[in-house]
Amino acid sequence: MIQFQQVSKQYAKEAFALSDVTLSVARGELAFLAGPSGAGKSTVLKMVAGVERPSSGTVQVNGQNVGKLKPSGLPYLRRNLGLIFQQQSLLLDRSVLANVMLPLLVTGASRVDAEKRALAALDKVGLIDKAHAAPLSLSGGEQQRVAIARAIVNRPQIILADEPTANLDRASADKVLDALKAFHAAGVTCLISTHDEHILQKAERVIYLRQGRLDMSAQYPTVAA
Amino acid sequence: MKIWIRQHMAALAGAFGHMLTSRGSFALNVLVVSIALALPIAGLTVLDNLQPVSEELAVEPEISLFLTMATSRDSAIALAPAIRRVLQDNKSAGKIDFVAREKALESLKNKTGMADALATLGANPLPDAYVLTLAGFWSAGDTKKIDTLTTQLQALPNVEYVQIDSAWIKRLIALLHVLRLMLLFLAMTLGVVVVAVIFNTIRLQVLTQHDEIKVSRLVGATDSFIYRPFYYTGALLGLVSGSVALGAVAWGLAPLNDAITQFAQLYGSQFRLMPLNFTTSALILTVGTMLGLFGSLLSVQRHLARLN
Repeated sequence: MIQFQQVSKQYAKEAFALSDVTLSVARGELAFLAGPSGAGKSTVLKMVAGVERPSSGTVQVNGQNVGKLKPSGLPYLRRNLGLIFQQQSLLLDRSVLANVMLPLLVTGASRVDAEKRALAALDKVGLIDKAHAAPLSLSGGEQQRVAIARAIVNRPQIILADEPTANLDRASADKVLDALKAFHAAGVTCLISTHDEHILQKAERVIYLRQGRLDMSAQYPTVAA
Repeated sequence: MKIWIRQHMAALAGAFGHMLTSRGSFALNVLVVSIALALPIAGLTVLDNLQPVSEELAVEPEISLFLTMATSRDSAIALAPAIRRVLQDNKSAGKIDFVAREKALESLKNKTGMADALATLGANPLPDAYVLTLAGFWSAGDTKKIDTLTTQLQALPNVEYVQIDSAWIKRLIALLHVLRLMLLFLAMTLGVVVVAVIFNTIRLQVLTQHDEIKVSRLVGATDSFIYRPFYYTGALLGLVSGSVALGAVAWGLAPLNDAITQFAQLYGSQFRLMPLNFTTSALILTVGTMLGLFGSLLSVQRHLARLN
């Protein structure tokens, strides 16, 4: 489903953000990207979403070469992805419900249909009672679950989450992770970057990155590329 | 098609929403743009009102040919074909009326109320005359043709004097021509001002909605989806400002007309400034909307491209 073939990324004359990375994530798999800050985890996710393009090598998502996609083709790729960002990315001047409706409205769904589906997504992450609340009135964990609801509302084939549990307490982090695991159980492919040891210890598959390269000597349960 | 219409309606609703949520700044922008539009609209209103007056004067100028007192009635009447020939030679159409001296005297008595004074003169002091009403004269260039015509008519036998007050017609036409050019220049300059104001308004809107644009892109919004509300906002700004400017100019005519009516009455005229007609007003609103759309188009292309 996701394939990196000898992918490198260099920003101007700076050091390589990614260097000769080859990896694949199969359909329906739950894989974690691990590694210290600056290892290249976010860059991998950005490349899958077409936010960054590889300097060399190929990135394929669902058989599409993302690096070769025209800018006009990117929105259609992203409609099959659910993105959860490292920083809170909710629109603070809109209600929780309006935030979750956004991915549906951009695809041309009617407001009635979008609202119905957004409420269903909020129900799945246990936040239906907060639908009309302002994002700032929610805790960090709840905001991240709203972001998850927004990511899954379009029924994406792939969920990409960049440090979804960063800055959350253990209980909130577990709730976020449980929500993601529930979608994985429903057949959604998940690629999640984290440096949360607690999560990584229980992970079935971890892809470890260090200084932009795959680190095959990492100690997590499974180190595979 | 249904989705396309729905997205346009959503963008329009978004533009209205933005207009309502930032009422203060939108009103200020409308004020600036409408002031810029009001100046050429006011100028156009004045020219539009003066145009029929000037056309009436210029379209049918009259030339009076006064014959010598010694010219007999037969010779006077026999002059008509020669006059017609001069008009044809100059490719001018017009009406030729012979005014017998008796009729002229009668008319003078009736018009001026000077019957008693004229009666004291005894003999009729007026000569036979021809009045030529020329047709199809429109511009300052045509007045040169009138001068040529006058010279040729003056050269005809038995013609004492040819009278045409073309100088003031010429001046009026030339003045209107200059005013039209000035108005065009003013409209173009202020059109640039309108585009610049709307360009900047949309730039600020893009900056304030930066996060929303970024998130929308990441959840699969196309460029059209993102750009559309900005286009509608620019077009709405142009449309609302155009309406305000038209309304302000029409409203401003009332006090001006009081003074104009008093002045015109001194010359026995009923002249007063009228607001622009429906077609011209609709055209101005279209131009305002298009300027708004153009300003937003430039701004969106420039500023959103940087966010890609």
